[in-house]
Amino acid sequence: MNLLSISINHRSAPVELREALHLSNDEITNLIKQIKGSLLAEGLVISTCNRTEIYGIPVNPELSHTDLQQYIINQKSVTDVKPEHFQNYNAKSAVSHLFRLAAGIDSMLIGDNQIYKQVKDSFQLAEDAEFSGFLMKRLFDHAAKVGKRAITETAISEGAVTVSFAAVQLIEKIFANLSKKSALVIGTGETGEIAAKHLRSRGVGRLALTNRTFEKAERLAEELKTAVFPFNNFKEHLHKFDIVVSATSSEGIILTRTDIASAMKKRNNAEMVLMDIAVPRDIDPASTHIDYVFYHDIDSLNIIVEQNLNKRREEIPKVERIVEEEIEAFFNWYNSLQAAPTIKSLRNHFESIRREEVEKNKNRFSKEEQEKLDIITKRIVNKLLHQPSVELKKFNDSSESRDESAMKISIIREIFGLQHNSNEEKKNE
Amino acid sequence: MNSAIDFLNVLLPFLYFVSFGIYAVAFTKGDKKLDNYKRLFLFITLLVHTVYLGMRTIEFDHPPITNVFEIFTVLAFSVCFSYFLLELITDIRGTGPFIIIISLIFQTISSIFIEDLVEVREVLRSNLLGSHVFSALLGYSGFTISAVYGFLYLVLYKDIKDNRFGLIFNRLPSLEVLERLSFYSAVIGFILLSIAIVIGIIWLPMAFPDFSFTDPKIVGTSLVWILYGIGIASKIFGKWRGKKVIFLSILGFLLAIFSTMITNFLAKSFHSFY
Repeated sequence: MNLLSISINHRSAPVELREALHLSNDEITNLIKQIKGSLLAEGLVISTCNRTEIYGIPVNPELSHTDLQQYIINQKSVTDVKPEHFQNYNAKSAVSHLFRLAAGIDSMLIGDNQIYKQVKDSFQLAEDAEFSGFLMKRLFDHAAKVGKRAITETAISEGAVTVSFAAVQLIEKIFANLSKKSALVIGTGETGEIAAKHLRSRGVGRLALTNRTFEKAERLAEELKTAVFPFNNFKEHLHKFDIVVSATSSEGIILTRTDIASAMKKRNNAEMVLMDIAVPRDIDPASTHIDYVFYHDIDSLNIIVEQNLNKRREEIPKVERIVEEEIEAFFNWYNSLQAAPTIKSLRNHFESIRREEVEKNKNRFSKEEQEKLDIITKRIVNKLLHQPSVELKKFNDSSESRDESAMKISIIREIFGLQHNSNEEKKNE
Repeated sequence: MNSAIDFLNVLLPFLYFVSFGIYAVAFTKGDKKLDNYKRLFLFITLLVHTVYLGMRTIEFDHPPITNVFEIFTVLAFSVCFSYFLLELITDIRGTGPFIIIISLIFQTISSIFIEDLVEVREVLRSNLLGSHVFSALLGYSGFTISAVYGFLYLVLYKDIKDNRFGLIFNRLPSLEVLERLSFYSAVIGFILLSIAIVIGIIWLPMAFPDFSFTDPKIVGTSLVWILYGIGIASKIFGKWRGKKVIFLSILGFLLAIFSTMITNFLAKSFHSFY
């Protein structure tokens, strides 16, 4: 199989170079238009925040990885990217890389199921641009299967592996139903914004924001449709919240133990969760000693993240097995697209129909005629299959590439429904 | 029938042990595949136990409530049966091993010491006594389950406070759910114990004309009843919450156990039948 693949990713290049080669969806569509037919007969372009990858069957068998790398470098007018910043794959290694990618074990964040969706979206882009031929379609089917199996058959995507997810996991160990709880996010910088959006998406009942720059909080509040408190008096409302997430860039403590203790008194000691994800910390860590106050800072959340990452790492061998199984299934299919096995499958297919029909109708004939019936029907089948067999054998000798003849054979197999048959034959063997 | 009863008597601790084992493995490994098997096995165990209790009642011509070891087997059954219902209703499956182990202990003690008593005092054949004891036992099962959930609440509370995110953190339901389960079990236990007390008050003068209200069992049960009553009322009226109510529930459970032991093994009481 003449499948080529290049990849610039978190393992091969620093973030600034990955950023430089990042492609938006429009850029991917444009790139496909340019390379389709001129460089690659069919293929796939994937670009996420951590990687840009191109897979494809070259039009010219002489096309090298360096040609493909140079093409994208020129396209993006980047000067600092060198060939050593790319990882190159061929045939089986390219298939394996794509499958590992779809399963999330090649990601920076092991088991990240976002990548599965991104791979699916990339296939859709290739499909829309008519860039995915018979080989890529099949490859995608298997890649999608690997991604799905990894999620359903293993725990590779289980557990929170980011601080904001870990915070929610912890909150859900204290409260049964977030929709009945209220949350306050202090600080609407990048971290605070992520936390607020995350709480909203998890269905928290009431969400409010406060920030030193009131306008900034108002903007986010408008987007999330939440209440906003002025920063100078938010403490007066503290007791109304079951969950407080603090993520300001303040240099000192903004919520003292006394503030928390007085809020708890007003709450009649109803449980309160304090998530201090600011560095340096915003809430006095001594608050943890107050009954029914669950204080957690970035370090304690990182314990959860690290534990979950370790669990995911332990799942990698299981995912690797799935990848291996699907590689084998994919190449079984690919190898069946050769003349000899196809002729054999075709003959078996016709023979089984012949035998079935003879069996069904033989009682209409006398004993002597039954023998003749068998000989005549065999002869008909042989005659019918003679020409197709001769033509199929020519694929082996013709000058066209292996992938082109494989495509033609794949059409023949599809017309006669031989895929299913060949699998059956394999099982019977 | 006697040999069948003897066989089931030996089989039951084994069945409870296997049920406990499956629940414990599912808890430690987090294996979801075991979820349906463990429930099925617990169901089979309870079914066998029902047959055993039925056979004893028929064969010995009295319900199995006439001595402490008969009561232990009924208690083992009612604790697990209550848990089974709770698991079916709430679909919270992570707490099974902590409850089943209680039934395992009660059943093992019962199986070792139980005797085949055919002759029992006439007073113990009363229907009112049957209702009194069964409602009391179901009430105590409620308190047992309440205490187990209360204990799990305290362990999880401490783990979260101390940033320990191990098995308990990963497998148990939320603190709020544990608190609710503990509270509801205590309420159900309290109602059933109240029924047992009312029946007791009606039946007592009939059965024992010379009874005394200073009987250790009556004093102990009254204390347990008052303790749970205070806890439930303070929770309902919003005075107490969380740990305070749970401490009270665990204290009530310990008092109930203590009172049973004193009555049955040490003190002279009309409640000691064995």
